[in-house]
Formats: sequence, structure tokens, C-alpha cells
Amino acid sequence: MDTRHLMACSLVLVSLLVSACATRVEVDGKFPAALTHKLPLRSVVVFNEAFASHRFESQVGPEVSVSVGQVQVELFTGLADNLFQYSSTTTQMPSNPEADLILVPNVDDVQISMPNESQLKVFEVWIKYNLQVFKPTGEPIADWIMTAYGKTPTRFLKSNTQALQQASMVAMRDAGAHFITGFARVPEIQQWLRQRSTNTPQRKGSAPL
Amino acid sequence: MKHLLTITTLTLLISLSACTNTTVDEYRENSTFLTLDSTERVVVLGRRHYADYETEPDFIDCIGEKLEADKEISVLPEREFVDLLYPWFEPRTAPLGLKRLAKMLNEPMIAQRFKEQSLRYMIWIDGSTETTDRDGSVSCAVGPGGGGCFGFTTWEKTGTYEAVIWDLQTLKESGRVKVEARGSSYMVAIILPIPIVAQVQDQACNGIGQQLRTFFMGTRADEAS
Repeated sequence: MDTRHLMACSLVLVSLLVSACATRVEVDGKFPAALTHKLPLRSVVVFNEAFASHRFESQVGPEVSVSVGQVQVELFTGLADNLFQYSSTTTQMPSNPEADLILVPNVDDVQISMPNESQLKVFEVWIKYNLQVFKPTGEPIADWIMTAYGKTPTRFLKSNTQALQQASMVAMRDAGAHFITGFARVPEIQQWLRQRSTNTPQRKGSAPL
Repeated sequence: MKHLLTITTLTLLISLSACTNTTVDEYRENSTFLTLDSTERVVVLGRRHYADYETEPDFIDCIGEKLEADKEISVLPEREFVDLLYPWFEPRTAPLGLKRLAKMLNEPMIAQRFKEQSLRYMIWIDGSTETTDRDGSVSCAVGPGGGGCFGFTTWEKTGTYEAVIWDLQTLKESGRVKVEARGSSYMVAIILPIPIVAQVQDQACNGIGQQLRTFFMGTRADEAS
């Protein structure tokens, strides 16, 4: 074997060893339809590039990468369909769309805690969303900071990848629960809805729980 | 020769497994029997809102299987129920008390979903199985001529669970059962490690499952007679 072959083999071996230490997760899964009353609103949800391809990369410790972009687009598309009378999606901020509100979800922060860091026997995922709500004219209605949390005990799963996938899915479902139960309770949105109801006849809103 | 080795290994495993022990303490707070007609169903749910532990999903499945064992009690699987009622039974939103559940059921949409599923009882399971003690050690080594392990280790697991039955018709608590199971497991390593594991969680599931069945089976026995 010549030196070139030996070098290539060594490089392949080293890269295999390095990749074996890294944890890469492409979160995917399905979400059930939300059981909720539809608000009498038409919405446009804007999934910008940063949101639709969001990937968390750890800065310290072992290499961990969790991609939540695609799955959260699916989550928020479904949530908007379930919560609003009519909903559509786009990738860029529309100008004066035929809608009552524009919803722009953003990921402010993602934090991950693994058992080797926390000394706890759980994998944890926190996601901090900033949900911006605008009038069709572009005038802001609310900036809603919404947090989501998911955890998976270590003994339930066989690998870090599987555990983080599951903890991320629990966090996504939690985000959905927070969105559905909390949207109409955000003070600014509540006030805006009240103002609207004085102009338009009121219909039943989301479950007052 | 091969047969002799297999028989020796089996004998060793059987004699070692006899060394594991599991203790189950059960406690039932009341001795009432609950009515459940053949069209009604039960759902078993695990508590998941605590920071440091959560009730194992496979433990919930196990209790469901115990209840359904002779097809007398119909159980709606936990995952199916939680998805049908999404987002009202997530860790963030699930009712911790009957007052909250009553408020939830005031919402016609949620009440209708319960009715569609013919749900009569909701059983909440709270608890988990943890390793409480560990002793000894096993070390393994690999060399050019081969490898092997040597040592002895033992660990103790304790499973503590409580089941609370909520009657969805009267919106009252109708039963409560507590189970604690403890068991010691061993691992002996002479070249090959041989684990002898005490089935603590299974024992706790058996205990709680049997206790829960007695709440419902009493009335079934009366109906049959």
C-alpha cells in the first residue's frame, strides 16, 4: 500500500471516529389535530428562511446538532389551520394580504441539556419562540414570547439521537399546547380581539380554559 | 460436549435467577366495587409533569394489558387518548385535580370527545422505578490473545406507584391503590458477564393491575350470577 492510500484510509478512519462522537438529529414526526374552537379570523403565517431551516448547534462540549426547522413549519401550519377559520402560509412578509392577521414565528433560542452535562437522568430541550402578530397593514399587534419544554428520561431510549428526537417532539407538542391555549389570552391579542368584536359580531372563540 | 455446556449454562442461570428477590407491598384505600357496563371504557394515563421523573409509558401499557387480560374491561390506549384530546392532556395542560377536569368537561367539544369514546373511568398512575442502591464492580479487558470480564455487582431497584381512579360520570374519586416493589439484581462476570435481573417494574405492574381489576371485576361477577 503506498503512502497516499495509507493517508486516505487514515483520514476516513479518523472522520468516522469523529462522526461517531457527534450527535446529529433531524427532528421529524406527526402532530395530531388540535381540539379547539376556530377563531373567526383569517391568518397568513410567514415562515422565513431562518425559521424554516433552524438548526441548533452546541457551542460547548460534545458536538450536538438538532434540526427543528422543517418539523416546526409543519407544527405551526397545522396549529394555524386548527385555530383560525382560514389560514395560508408564505415565506416572505406579504403586503396588505386578504387576512385579518399576519403571524411570524421566530426561534429566539434553543437549549439542550444532556445527562452528561446536567448529572440528571433526562434529556431536555427548551425552545424560546417569539411569535410576532401583525395587522395586514404591517402594524404590530403583539410580540409573544412563548416557551416550550420537552424531556425524555435516559432509560427509555437506546441512543442520544433517539432521546433528543423524542425530547424535541415533546417540546414541539408543548409549543402547540401553549399556542392553542394561550393565543387568545395574550393581553395585546386579547385587546385587539376585543376591539375587533366591537366592529364585527362576536363568534365563539377558543375554549375558555 | 456442546449440549453439556448449554445445560450447565442453563442450570447456572436458573439457580442464579432464584437469587433475585422482589417484594411487593400493596395498599388499597377502599373496598368499593365500580360499575362498568360492557359498552364503557377505561383510560389509563401516566403523570408526566414532574421535573425529576415521569411515569414510564411502557408501565402504563402494561397496566392496560393487565386490565384487558380477559377482555372484560375495555381500555383506550394512552397515546390514542392523548392524541384525540390534544392539546388538553399534555404535561402542561393535563388536569391535576377533579375540579380542573370538571371545568374541562364544561367545554362541550371536550365532553363530546369523551362521550364518543364511551369513557367512564380515568385512571392516573403516578410514580416510577429507580435504582436505589448499587454495589460491587465488573471490569473488562481486551488483549491480543482475547478478552473477558471479571467481577460481581449488585443493584437494587424500587418501583413506587399510586393509581387514582376518577369516575367521569360523577366526577368523584372512586378508588386509590398504592404499590411498592423492591428487587435486587446481580451480575456475575467470569469471562462472560451474566446479568440476573429482578423484574421490579413487571411485579409492580402485576400488583397494581390486579388491584385495579378487583374494582371492576366485582360488579362483573355480580352481573354474571
